[in-house]
Amino acid sequence: MDSKNINALLEKYWNCETSLEEEQQLKAYFRGKEIPEQLKETAVLFQYFDEHKKKDLTDVGFDREVLQKVKAPKDGKVRKLFYNSMRIAAGIAVLVVATFLVRNEVRQSNPAPVEDTYDDPKLAFEETKKALQMISKSFGSAQDKAKKINMFNEAQKSIQKEETDSNL
Amino acid sequence: MNLEAFQNRVLPAKNKLFRFALRFLGNEEEAKDVVQEVFIRVWNGREQMNEVENWEAWCMRITRNLSLDRIRSINRKQTQPIEETFDVKLETLSPHESTEAHESMQRITQLIAALPEKQRQVIHLRDVEGYTYNEICDILEIDMNQVKVNLFRARNAVREKLMKINAYGL
Repeated sequence: MDSKNINALLEKYWNCETSLEEEQQLKAYFRGKEIPEQLKETAVLFQYFDEHKKKDLTDVGFDREVLQKVKAPKDGKVRKLFYNSMRIAAGIAVLVVATFLVRNEVRQSNPAPVEDTYDDPKLAFEETKKALQMISKSFGSAQDKAKKINMFNEAQKSIQKEETDSNL
Repeated sequence: MNLEAFQNRVLPAKNKLFRFALRFLGNEEEAKDVVQEVFIRVWNGREQMNEVENWEAWCMRITRNLSLDRIRSINRKQTQPIEETFDVKLETLSPHESTEAHESMQRITQLIAALPEKQRQVIHLRDVEGYTYNEICDILEIDMNQVKVNLFRARNAVREKLMKINAYGL
């Protein structure tokens, strides 16, 4: 290829109008030995592209490593399912135990209220009567005790009176 | 796709993927890790592969995404001074025959390393790997216009620098 053609092709290249084939032609040309002085630096650019294309993954064991990783069987489906359901079961178990403990705690701190009889007026009346009778009975016995104290009081008063009378 | 097809059709793309990952990461070990991960993803998603028009571009796209992820996580872990990354990039170049040519090559390397990220990716995909514009659209997930604009700017930046070198010997 003569230099006129090359310059035209290069111009196209700088303007991004070259096809891939034309770019290959340029690369091929700049791989050659007879390059005019003014294109020396441009040649280095194309050599740079070539050089970079040569850069390979040199690791010999790479393919084998990848294939091994790819082939490595993943956890079986059944095992995965079992594992997942166990996780869910463990979660539920924790919740149940926690609820049970919290409920016990709450029950202990608030003892159950006495059974009431508000629904049945008759029973309620009986219960009230019983309660009132109990109170009145207590009052009755208290009155008896109070009477005795009263007797003492009166006796004391009469003694005091006699004493003052005799002092007079 | 069975294992044999994977081995014969997909695995040979490893060098292209490796070079592309290396372009982002500048570190061969990291790039190798990325390529390995790409292959594992491709294998796991092999059912999808029939729907993909161009599986090589698809692989390249995954490579790009994983490389970017890795760069992000590296940046999160530690901030590297920019010069250091440049040095790593220079080291990955194979030495050239003569010192003069080696120097010119280093100049070009620096020149391309100095391009904005997207332009660097486009020029790599087009001029090193020889992908069509359509494939580059696919790989970088940008539209045709963006590809052309980025390539044009990249090539022109290179051209200007080369002209300066020619004129002043810089």
